[in-house]
Amino acid sequence: MKQKQAMFWLQVRRATALAVVLLLWEGISALGWVDPFYAPPPSAIGGAIAELFADGEIYGHLEATFGAALLGLFLGLIGGALLGFIAALLRPVAELLEPVMAMLNAIPRVILAPLFIIWLGIGIASKVALSFILVVVLTFFAVYNGIRDVDTRLVERVKTLGGGSWTLLREVYVPSVVAWVMGSLKVAVGFAFTGAVVGEFVASSRGLGYLLAFAQSTYNAALTFALIVLVLVFVMILFGLAGALERYLLRWKYR
Amino acid sequence: MMLDIRNLQMSYGDEPVLENVDLGVAAGEFVSLIGPSGCGKSTLLRAVVGLQKPSAGDVRLDLKRREIGLLFQDDALLPWRTARDNVALGLRIRGATKAEARRTAMRWLESVGLGQFGDRYPRELSGGQRKRVAIAQVLALRPKLLLMDEPFASLDAIVRHYLTEDLLGWVDEEDLTVLMVTHDLEEAVAVSDRVVLLGNGPRAHVKGRWEIDLPRPRDLLRVKEEHQFAVTTRALWNALSEEVRTPTTRKRPEPETEEATP
Ligand SMILES: Nc1ncnc2c1ncn2[C@@H]1O[C@H](COP(=O)(O)OP(=O)(O)OP(=O)(O)O)[C@@H](O)[C@H]1O
Ligand SMILES: [Mg+2]
Repeated sequence: MKQKQAMFWLQVRRATALAVVLLLWEGISALGWVDPFYAPPPSAIGGAIAELFADGEIYGHLEATFGAALLGLFLGLIGGALLGFIAALLRPVAELLEPVMAMLNAIPRVILAPLFIIWLGIGIASKVALSFILVVVLTFFAVYNGIRDVDTRLVERVKTLGGGSWTLLREVYVPSVVAWVMGSLKVAVGFAFTGAVVGEFVASSRGLGYLLAFAQSTYNAALTFALIVLVLVFVMILFGLAGALERYLLRWKYR
Repeated sequence: MMLDIRNLQMSYGDEPVLENVDLGVAAGEFVSLIGPSGCGKSTLLRAVVGLQKPSAGDVRLDLKRREIGLLFQDDALLPWRTARDNVALGLRIRGATKAEARRTAMRWLESVGLGQFGDRYPRELSGGQRKRVAIAQVLALRPKLLLMDEPFASLDAIVRHYLTEDLLGWVDEEDLTVLMVTHDLEEAVAVSDRVVLLGNGPRAHVKGRWEIDLPRPRDLLRVKEEHQFAVTTRALWNALSEEVRTPTTRKRPEPETEEATP
């Protein structure tokens, strides 16, 4: 109860701080201290957001970005988990995959965007591919390390209770891996959106990234800010969902 | 012999930890294994349950592997399973339905005094409570041969006393054969039919055997007033001290001679 109250007041303080910053910004703009061409006041950004929704055109763009990001996230998680599992269990596969993954991990993977657009066209496929490649490497390492760092005491315990490979997989390996993957789920969500938006930014005809490119080419700072705020809000919502999923799946840790 | 260890050698890499170990445990016997820390007692138990292959010699068993229960030195339980499901796991593996397994698990949790804690996760239990969950987990499978690795090492004197008493009760009720590793000489003498001393490692082997022919079941407090208890404990103490003192490297660390730079 006390904790809940403390949380509530923390939220109130945060909201107040944000409101103060926005008010200051608005005030500075009103006084003419900054050029609204570069830093439009919050009211102008809010207006731009309202306009986006007013003509309803935004929904198609949101759909494109969300579709690419979520599909890339989903495929990346599944693909990374499978590859991580196989690599951890089969030595030769690990020897083949680990260097490739390590290299992909070391480079900023968004530089692959132009390549995907050449290969897959300016449609949604290239955006999904970019999201996927960002997420799959992250997930691969989470799962691969998760399995290799499994608590051997637990493995031995289950073995002496009579458990075979199937029981070990279900009772020890999968839960350990879930714990690891959940730890990087929020990062994966962020990566998936980065992939989708950057892909759209480079070349596309739809999506928030496309709108961003448009706003940039017309020097529309208010629209740029509005789009940044939109991406921020949607990623925060997904973070919340990821957090809830984490607390549910790892309830043995958080209860 | 229910368990017959002959000429056992156990190694990590090329380094033998145990060598030429002979140890037999007959059905119904309670045998304690003592020895200096790091001499290979846990390793010996691992050989018996087949977690680790001997590098020489063999372990003969007059029963199936699944009839052996091993209580590990640490109390690691599956952190993502409740106390009840941790106990139920072994039963599930042996083919019980989920409902059956959970019912039996709850009965065993009650008999180790944790009836209200079935829904707790391991991290919500104290060390002693986790130990008891581990005991329930092993006993629920009704083993014939029970191997225990310092089962009560981390518990305070009173809890330890009552848990030992309970354990002896189960051993007699279930007619268990026991091989127990312990650091506590008095405990070893009080509960066992025989105490076996492992020497210092590496290449540790059996350095002595003491028969305790006091009738069982025993009263844990009374037995300490017996003459034989005092004599045997003393003898064990001397023998073990001998082993612990053997290492030649026992030296005080040299004081740092380097000048401390300001
Ligand atoms: N996985 C391992 N790899 C290499 N050496 C090991 C390994 N496990 C144990 N040892 C070594 O083998 C020896 C015996 O270990 P073991 O755990 O069997 O000792 P112990 O008699 O049970 O000691 P304690 O009384 O402290 O529990 C020790 O010297 C230890 O350092
Ligand atoms: Mg040990």
